[in-house]
Amino acid sequence: MRRTLMLVMLSIVGAPALAHAAEGAASAAGGGWIGPFAVIAAGLGMAIAAGLCGLGQGRAVASAVDAMARQPGAAARIQTAMIIGLALIESLAIYVLVVAMILLFVQPIK
Amino acid sequence: MGVIEHPPIIHLPWSWTPDHVTHTWFVMIILAALAFAASRKVALVPRGVQNLMEVVLEQFVTLIDDVMGPEGRRYLPLIATLGLFIFASNLIGIVPGTAGPTANLNTTAACALIVFFTYHAIGIRKQGLGRYLKHFMGPVPALAPLMVPIELISHLARPLSLTLRLFGNMVGGHILLAIIFFLMGFNGLIGWALSGSAAGAVVGGLGGVIMIVFTVGFLYPLKLLVALLQAFIFVMLTMLYIGGAIEEAEHAEHHSPPASGHH
Repeated sequence: MRRTLMLVMLSIVGAPALAHAAEGAASAAGGGWIGPFAVIAAGLGMAIAAGLCGLGQGRAVASAVDAMARQPGAAARIQTAMIIGLALIESLAIYVLVVAMILLFVQPIK
Repeated sequence: MGVIEHPPIIHLPWSWTPDHVTHTWFVMIILAALAFAASRKVALVPRGVQNLMEVVLEQFVTLIDDVMGPEGRRYLPLIATLGLFIFASNLIGIVPGTAGPTANLNTTAACALIVFFTYHAIGIRKQGLGRYLKHFMGPVPALAPLMVPIELISHLARPLSLTLRLFGNMVGGHILLAIIFFLMGFNGLIGWALSGSAAGAVVGGLGGVIMIVFTVGFLYPLKLLVALLQAFIFVMLTMLYIGGAIEEAEHAEHHSPPASGHH
Protein backbone atom coordinates (compact mmCIF):
# COMPACT_ATOMS: atom_id res chain seq x y z
CA MET A 1 0.00 0.00 0.00
CA ARG A 2 2.68 2.40 1.07
CA ARG A 3 4.88 1.45 -1.86
CA THR A 4 2.02 2.04 -4.29
CA LEU A 5 1.39 5.42 -2.73
CA MET A 6 5.07 6.34 -3.05
CA LEU A 7 5.06 5.21 -6.67
CA VAL A 8 1.97 7.31 -7.47
CA MET A 9 3.47 10.36 -5.75
CA LEU A 10 6.78 9.93 -7.57
CA SER A 11 5.06 9.56 -10.91
CA ILE A 12 2.95 12.66 -10.27
CA VAL A 13 5.94 14.72 -9.23
CA GLY A 14 8.17 13.34 -11.94
CA ALA A 15 5.67 13.54 -14.79
CA PRO A 16 6.45 17.12 -15.84
CA ALA A 17 10.15 16.31 -16.06
CA LEU A 18 9.44 13.35 -18.35
CA ALA A 19 6.99 15.38 -20.38
CA HIS A 20 9.49 18.16 -20.67
CA ALA A 21 12.19 15.73 -21.72
CA ALA A 22 9.94 14.37 -24.46
CA GLU A 23 8.95 17.87 -25.49
CA GLY A 24 12.53 19.07 -25.33
CA ALA A 25 13.54 16.25 -27.67
CA ALA A 26 10.87 17.42 -30.11
CA SER A 27 11.59 21.14 -29.90
CA ALA A 28 14.78 22.40 -28.33
CA ALA A 29 13.09 25.66 -27.37
CA GLY A 30 14.18 25.46 -23.72
CA GLY A 31 13.04 27.61 -20.81
CA GLY A 32 9.83 27.47 -18.83
CA TRP A 33 10.41 24.00 -17.44
CA ILE A 34 9.64 25.18 -13.91
CA GLY A 35 6.03 26.05 -14.74
CA PRO A 36 4.54 22.55 -14.40
CA PHE A 37 6.43 22.00 -11.16
CA ALA A 38 5.05 25.31 -9.87
CA VAL A 39 1.49 24.16 -10.58
CA ILE A 40 2.08 20.85 -8.77
CA ALA A 41 3.75 22.60 -5.85
CA ALA A 42 0.82 25.01 -5.54
CA GLY A 43 -1.74 22.22 -5.58
CA LEU A 44 0.10 19.86 -3.22
CA GLY A 45 1.06 22.65 -0.84
CA MET A 46 -2.48 23.98 -0.67
CA ALA A 47 -3.81 20.46 -0.09
CA ILE A 48 -1.41 19.77 2.78
CA ALA A 49 -2.02 23.20 4.31
CA ALA A 50 -5.80 22.90 4.06
CA GLY A 51 -5.83 19.43 5.56
CA LEU A 52 -3.60 20.21 8.51
CA CYS A 53 -5.29 23.57 9.08
CA GLY A 54 -8.63 21.74 9.19
CA LEU A 55 -7.22 19.32 11.78
CA GLY A 56 -5.93 22.14 13.96
CA GLN A 57 -9.08 24.21 13.72
CA GLY A 58 -11.19 21.14 14.42
CA ARG A 59 -9.31 20.50 17.65
CA ALA A 60 -9.65 24.15 18.68
CA VAL A 61 -13.39 24.29 17.95
CA ALA A 62 -13.98 20.93 19.66
CA SER A 63 -12.44 22.01 22.92
CA ALA A 64 -14.08 25.45 22.72
CA VAL A 65 -17.54 23.89 22.24
CA ASP A 66 -16.77 21.49 25.06
CA ALA A 67 -15.91 24.38 27.35
CA MET A 68 -19.02 26.30 26.27
CA ALA A 69 -21.22 23.30 27.05
CA ARG A 70 -19.69 22.99 30.50
CA GLN A 71 -19.88 26.68 31.31
CA PRO A 72 -22.60 28.42 29.31
CA GLY A 73 -22.09 31.58 31.33
CA ALA A 74 -18.61 32.10 29.87
CA ALA A 75 -19.73 31.35 26.31
CA ALA A 76 -19.18 34.88 24.99
CA ARG A 77 -15.58 35.15 26.18
CA ILE A 78 -14.76 31.62 25.03
CA GLN A 79 -16.21 32.43 21.63
CA THR A 80 -14.07 35.56 21.29
CA ALA A 81 -10.93 33.67 22.25
CA MET A 82 -11.87 30.88 19.86
CA ILE A 83 -12.35 33.27 16.95
CA ILE A 84 -8.97 34.91 17.56
CA GLY A 85 -7.30 31.52 17.78
CA LEU A 86 -9.01 30.33 14.63
CA ALA A 87 -7.82 33.44 12.81
CA LEU A 88 -4.25 32.85 13.92
CA ILE A 89 -4.38 29.20 12.81
CA GLU A 90 -6.07 30.07 9.56
CA SER A 91 -3.45 32.67 8.70
CA LEU A 92 -0.91 29.84 8.29
CA ALA A 93 -3.04 28.30 5.56
CA ILE A 94 -3.52 31.77 4.09
CA TYR A 95 0.28 32.13 3.81
CA VAL A 96 0.33 28.96 1.72
CA LEU A 97 -2.53 30.33 -0.39
CA VAL A 98 -0.54 33.51 -1.05
CA VAL A 99 2.56 31.48 -1.93
CA ALA A 100 0.46 29.31 -4.25
CA MET A 101 -0.97 32.39 -5.94
CA ILE A 102 2.54 33.81 -6.37
CA LEU A 103 3.68 30.52 -7.90
CA LEU A 104 0.68 30.39 -10.24
CA PHE A 105 0.17 33.99 -11.31
CA VAL A 106 3.36 35.96 -10.67
CA GLN A 107 5.87 33.19 -11.46
CA PRO A 108 8.99 34.87 -10.09
CA ILE A 109 11.26 31.97 -11.20
CA LYS A 110 10.91 31.14 -14.84
CA MET B 1 -3.98 36.58 -12.93
CA GLY B 2 -4.94 37.84 -16.34
CA VAL B 3 -7.49 35.08 -16.91
CA ILE B 4 -9.84 36.02 -14.14
CA GLU B 5 -9.43 39.78 -14.13
CA HIS B 6 -12.34 41.85 -15.28
CA PRO B 7 -12.70 45.59 -15.93
CA PRO B 8 -14.33 47.10 -12.82
CA ILE B 9 -17.48 49.19 -12.96
CA ILE B 10 -15.88 52.31 -11.52
CA HIS B 11 -12.96 52.91 -13.85
CA LEU B 12 -11.38 56.31 -14.42
CA PRO B 13 -10.34 57.02 -18.00
CA TRP B 14 -6.73 57.89 -17.12
CA SER B 15 -4.33 55.26 -15.91
CA TRP B 16 -2.47 56.85 -13.02
CA THR B 17 -5.12 55.94 -10.43
CA PRO B 18 -5.35 52.17 -10.02
CA ASP B 19 -8.83 50.73 -9.63
CA HIS B 20 -8.47 49.82 -5.97
CA VAL B 21 -7.60 53.45 -5.24
CA THR B 22 -10.78 54.71 -6.90
CA HIS B 23 -12.76 52.16 -4.90
CA THR B 24 -11.01 53.31 -1.74
CA TRP B 25 -12.19 56.85 -2.54
CA PHE B 26 -15.68 55.46 -3.06
CA VAL B 27 -15.60 53.79 0.37
CA MET B 28 -14.32 57.03 1.90
CA ILE B 29 -17.17 58.99 0.31
CA ILE B 30 -19.74 56.51 1.65
CA LEU B 31 -18.29 56.57 5.18
CA ALA B 32 -17.96 60.36 5.21
CA ALA B 33 -21.56 60.75 3.99
CA LEU B 34 -22.74 58.37 6.73
CA ALA B 35 -20.83 60.27 9.39
CA PHE B 36 -22.13 63.61 8.08
CA ALA B 37 -25.72 62.37 7.99
CA ALA B 38 -25.39 60.96 11.50
CA SER B 39 -23.92 64.10 13.06
CA ARG B 40 -25.80 66.80 11.13
CA LYS B 41 -28.61 67.14 13.65
CA VAL B 42 -27.48 65.48 16.86
CA ALA B 43 -30.49 64.74 19.04
CA LEU B 44 -30.65 63.47 22.58
CA VAL B 45 -33.06 60.75 21.47
CA PRO B 46 -31.36 59.44 18.32
CA ARG B 47 -33.32 58.57 15.21
CA GLY B 48 -32.45 57.19 11.80
CA VAL B 49 -28.82 57.31 10.76
CA GLN B 50 -27.64 58.70 14.08
CA ASN B 51 -29.29 55.76 15.84
CA LEU B 52 -27.55 53.28 13.53
CA MET B 53 -24.12 54.82 13.97
CA GLU B 54 -24.55 55.02 17.73
CA VAL B 55 -25.39 51.32 17.87
CA VAL B 56 -22.32 50.49 15.79
CA LEU B 57 -20.02 52.66 17.89
CA GLU B 58 -21.44 51.26 21.12
CA GLN B 59 -20.43 47.82 19.92
CA PHE B 60 -16.89 49.12 19.43
CA VAL B 61 -16.88 50.71 22.89
CA THR B 62 -18.04 47.50 24.61
CA LEU B 63 -15.42 45.53 22.69
CA ILE B 64 -12.69 47.97 23.74
CA ASP B 65 -13.84 47.89 27.38
CA ASP B 66 -13.77 44.10 27.32
CA VAL B 67 -10.35 43.75 25.76
CA MET B 68 -8.32 46.81 26.80
CA GLY B 69 -10.10 48.08 29.90
CA PRO B 70 -11.03 51.72 30.52
CA GLU B 71 -7.55 52.81 29.41
CA GLY B 72 -8.40 51.90 25.83
CA ARG B 73 -11.18 54.42 25.13
CA ARG B 74 -8.58 56.97 24.00
CA TYR B 75 -7.91 54.84 20.93
CA LEU B 76 -11.57 54.49 19.87
CA PRO B 77 -11.18 56.81 16.83
CA LEU B 78 -8.31 54.78 15.36
CA ILE B 79 -9.90 51.40 16.05
CA ALA B 80 -13.41 52.28 14.91
CA THR B 81 -12.11 53.97 11.75
CA LEU B 82 -10.03 50.94 10.83
CA GLY B 83 -12.93 48.60 11.53
CA LEU B 84 -15.51 50.59 9.56
CA PHE B 85 -13.15 51.14 6.62
CA ILE B 86 -12.17 47.49 6.37
CA PHE B 87 -15.73 46.25 6.77
CA ALA B 88 -17.06 48.65 4.12
CA SER B 89 -14.21 47.71 1.77
CA ASN B 90 -14.90 44.01 2.24
CA LEU B 91 -18.59 44.55 1.54
CA ILE B 92 -17.87 46.53 -1.62
CA GLY B 93 -15.54 43.79 -2.84
CA ILE B 94 -18.40 41.28 -2.77
CA VAL B 95 -20.36 43.11 -5.49
CA PRO B 96 -19.43 41.53 -8.84
CA GLY B 97 -17.63 43.94 -11.11
CA THR B 98 -15.87 45.94 -8.43
CA ALA B 99 -12.25 45.84 -7.34
CA GLY B 100 -12.44 45.59 -3.56
CA PRO B 101 -9.81 47.77 -1.87
CA THR B 102 -8.95 45.04 0.65
CA ALA B 103 -8.36 42.53 -2.13
CA ASN B 104 -5.19 44.46 -2.97
CA LEU B 105 -1.98 43.99 -1.03
CA ASN B 106 -1.23 47.73 -0.91
CA THR B 107 -4.40 48.65 1.00
CA THR B 108 -4.04 45.93 3.61
CA ALA B 109 -0.32 46.64 4.03
CA ALA B 110 -1.14 50.32 4.61
CA CYS B 111 -3.65 49.43 7.34
CA ALA B 112 -1.25 46.97 8.98
CA LEU B 113 1.65 49.45 8.93
CA ILE B 114 -0.55 52.10 10.56
CA VAL B 115 -1.28 49.62 13.37
CA PHE B 116 2.40 48.61 13.64
CA PHE B 117 3.77 52.15 14.03
CA THR B 118 0.87 53.23 16.22
CA TYR B 119 1.26 50.59 18.88
CA HIS B 120 5.00 51.11 19.06
CA ALA B 121 4.45 54.86 19.38
CA ILE B 122 1.89 54.30 22.14
CA GLY B 123 4.27 52.00 24.00
CA ILE B 124 7.15 54.46 23.72
CA ARG B 125 4.99 57.37 24.80
CA LYS B 126 3.64 55.42 27.78
CA GLN B 127 6.98 54.36 29.22
CA GLY B 128 9.80 56.11 27.39
CA LEU B 129 12.13 54.77 24.73
CA GLY B 130 14.69 53.07 26.98
CA ARG B 131 12.15 51.28 29.10
CA TYR B 132 10.17 50.16 26.09
CA LEU B 133 13.27 48.75 24.42
CA LYS B 134 14.14 46.96 27.64
CA HIS B 135 11.08 44.75 27.18
CA PHE B 136 12.69 43.30 24.08
CA MET B 137 15.48 41.85 26.23
CA GLY B 138 13.31 39.46 28.21
CA PRO B 139 13.13 38.97 31.97
CA VAL B 140 16.76 37.87 32.54
CA PRO B 141 19.69 39.95 31.18
CA ALA B 142 21.72 36.82 30.48
CA LEU B 143 19.10 35.66 27.98
CA ALA B 144 19.14 38.94 26.04
CA PRO B 145 21.15 37.66 23.02
CA LEU B 146 18.53 34.93 22.64
CA MET B 147 15.45 37.03 23.34
CA VAL B 148 16.19 40.08 21.20
CA PRO B 149 16.12 38.32 17.80
CA ILE B 150 13.03 36.33 18.78
CA GLU B 151 11.18 39.44 19.94
CA LEU B 152 12.26 41.38 16.84
CA ILE B 153 11.02 38.64 14.53
CA SER B 154 7.75 38.23 16.39
CA HIS B 155 7.08 41.97 16.27
CA LEU B 156 7.99 42.18 12.59
CA ALA B 157 5.73 39.21 11.82
CA ARG B 158 2.70 41.04 13.18
CA PRO B 159 2.17 43.50 10.30
CA LEU B 160 3.03 40.73 7.83
CA SER B 161 0.38 38.41 9.23
CA LEU B 162 -2.20 41.23 9.50
CA THR B 163 -1.57 42.12 5.85
CA LEU B 164 -1.59 38.63 4.43
CA ARG B 165 -4.56 37.37 6.45
CA LEU B 166 -6.93 40.07 5.23
CA PHE B 167 -5.57 40.01 1.68
CA GLY B 168 -5.58 36.22 1.40
CA ASN B 169 -9.09 35.81 2.74
CA MET B 170 -10.51 38.44 0.41
CA VAL B 171 -8.65 37.32 -2.72
CA GLY B 172 -9.37 33.66 -2.05
CA GLY B 173 -13.09 34.38 -1.94
CA HIS B 174 -12.89 36.50 -5.08
CA ILE B 175 -11.04 33.80 -7.01
CA LEU B 176 -13.62 31.23 -5.90
CA LEU B 177 -16.49 33.46 -7.08
CA ALA B 178 -14.71 34.19 -10.36
CA ILE B 179 -14.21 30.49 -11.05
CA ILE B 180 -17.88 29.78 -10.27
CA PHE B 181 -18.99 32.57 -12.61
CA PHE B 182 -16.76 31.25 -15.38
CA LEU B 183 -18.20 27.77 -14.90
CA MET B 184 -21.67 29.25 -15.29
CA GLY B 185 -20.89 31.53 -18.25
CA PHE B 186 -21.57 31.23 -21.97
CA ASN B 187 -18.47 29.08 -22.33
CA GLY B 188 -19.65 26.88 -19.46
CA LEU B 189 -22.90 25.47 -18.22
CA ILE B 190 -25.23 28.08 -19.72
CA GLY B 191 -23.53 27.76 -23.09
CA TRP B 192 -23.91 24.01 -22.82
CA ALA B 193 -27.61 24.37 -22.00
CA LEU B 194 -28.11 26.63 -25.04
CA SER B 195 -26.06 24.48 -27.39
CA GLY B 196 -29.13 22.67 -28.75
CA SER B 197 -28.38 19.08 -27.89
CA ALA B 198 -30.82 17.38 -25.52
CA ALA B 199 -28.18 16.01 -23.16
CA GLY B 200 -26.47 19.39 -23.02
CA ALA B 201 -29.77 21.08 -22.19
CA VAL B 202 -30.49 18.63 -19.38
CA VAL B 203 -27.00 18.55 -17.86
CA GLY B 204 -26.25 22.23 -18.43
CA GLY B 205 -29.64 23.39 -17.22
CA LEU B 206 -29.57 21.22 -14.11
CA GLY B 207 -25.98 22.11 -13.38
CA GLY B 208 -26.69 25.79 -13.88
CA VAL B 209 -29.63 25.73 -11.48
CA ILE B 210 -27.58 23.84 -8.88
CA MET B 211 -24.69 26.30 -9.28
CA ILE B 212 -26.94 29.33 -8.92
CA VAL B 213 -28.64 27.92 -5.81
CA PHE B 214 -25.22 27.03 -4.36
CA THR B 215 -23.80 30.48 -5.06
CA VAL B 216 -26.75 32.51 -3.81
CA GLY B 217 -27.64 30.24 -0.91
CA PHE B 218 -24.19 29.32 0.38
CA LEU B 219 -21.28 31.26 -1.11
CA TYR B 220 -22.69 34.76 -0.70
CA PRO B 221 -23.74 34.30 2.94
CA LEU B 222 -20.31 32.78 3.57
CA LYS B 223 -18.59 35.78 1.98
CA LEU B 224 -20.72 38.17 4.04
CA LEU B 225 -19.69 36.27 7.18
CA VAL B 226 -16.03 36.34 6.15
CA ALA B 227 -16.21 40.09 5.47
CA LEU B 228 -17.58 40.73 8.97
CA LEU B 229 -15.23 38.23 10.61
CA GLN B 230 -12.05 39.54 8.99
CA ALA B 231 -12.85 43.14 9.93
CA PHE B 232 -13.56 41.94 13.49
CA ILE B 233 -10.30 40.01 13.66
CA PHE B 234 -8.24 42.92 12.33
CA VAL B 235 -9.79 45.24 14.94
CA MET B 236 -9.42 42.62 17.67
CA LEU B 237 -5.71 42.10 16.96
CA THR B 238 -5.17 45.86 16.81
CA MET B 239 -6.73 46.15 20.25
CA LEU B 240 -4.62 43.28 21.57
CA TYR B 241 -1.39 44.85 20.27
CA ILE B 242 -2.18 48.30 21.69
CA GLY B 243 -3.38 46.69 24.91
CA GLY B 244 -0.12 44.77 25.10
CA ALA B 245 1.91 47.97 24.81
CA ILE B 246 -0.19 49.66 27.54
CA GLU B 247 -0.08 46.60 29.80
CA GLU B 248 3.68 46.39 29.58
CA ALA B 249 3.75 49.97 30.80
CA GLU B 250 1.56 49.13 33.80
CA HIS B 251 3.67 46.08 34.57
CA ALA B 252 6.80 48.19 34.46
CA GLU B 253 5.28 50.69 36.86
CA HIS B 254 4.29 47.88 39.20
CA HIS B 255 7.72 46.35 39.11
CA SER B 256 9.76 49.54 39.33
CA PRO B 257 9.62 50.03 43.12
CA PRO B 258 11.95 47.27 44.29
CA ALA B 259 10.37 46.80 47.71
CA SER B 260 6.74 46.49 46.64
CA GLY B 261 6.55 43.01 48.12
CA HIS B 262 3.86 41.66 45.80
CA HIS B 263 5.75 38.59 44.75
